[in-house]
Amino acid sequence: MEASDSYLIRPHHQHKFKPAIVKECIREIVRERLSGVQYDPDQVPELSRSLADCIKDKVKNAGFDRYKLVVQVVIGEQRGQGVKMSSRCFWDADTDNYAEDIFMNESLFCLAAVFGSYYY
Amino acid sequence: MTGMEEYHNSSEGSFSSEEADVIVKECVDNVVGGEDYSQSQVNKWTSSIVERCLTQLVKHWKQNKYIVTCAVMQKTGGGLHTANSCYWDTTMDGSCTVRWENRTMYCVVSVFAVAVA
Repeated sequence: MEASDSYLIRPHHQHKFKPAIVKECIREIVRERLSGVQYDPDQVPELSRSLADCIKDKVKNAGFDRYKLVVQVVIGEQRGQGVKMSSRCFWDADTDNYAEDIFMNESLFCLAAVFGSYYY
Repeated sequence: MTGMEEYHNSSEGSFSSEEADVIVKECVDNVVGGEDYSQSQVNKWTSSIVERCLTQLVKHWKQNKYIVTCAVMQKTGGGLHTANSCYWDTTMDGSCTVRWENRTMYCVVSVFAVAVA
């Protein structure tokens, strides 16, 4: 009889959210989509939205089945300003984790963060 | 029975974006309201904002996991865009984003509330 996994309260070690793998996913997508791109205020809203969706789909397909995902993408223009981003999470540190990556070129900077929360 | 009392403590119901909006705005006002952008203080500000928001949110609705992010940017005419994409249960989970500004800086706080079961 196939064991149903509906009562799993802890992910199996192999199915845990692995920050290194997710960071690589993010890195690939961002580098591919943003290399050589200039900041354009008309296009950036659509670009950031589609980047977030792309990253979410890629991470979903990487096999973290029991995880709810939150992907946040921030794109800003490089104008010599100071920016600081921080985040804090209230979750189960044993099962949940996050991964982030930053990309910069001369005209823009982009930060992408993926938070994975286990669904018991 | 004391067990029952604890169960009914979270009588606020499920996560509400409007209420979270009010809570977050208040936290941001308390930390950076009336301040000018300062490179040396910005670390402290972002930490305080996320910590305060988190404590207030947990006080209101204990049954969720929370992810709070905060970005503070100096006003120099440059643009900033944030986008979120979430894979979750739309009936139980929710998010709220608050944009706040003053003369010298922008502050964007995002709150994501994820149900556990």
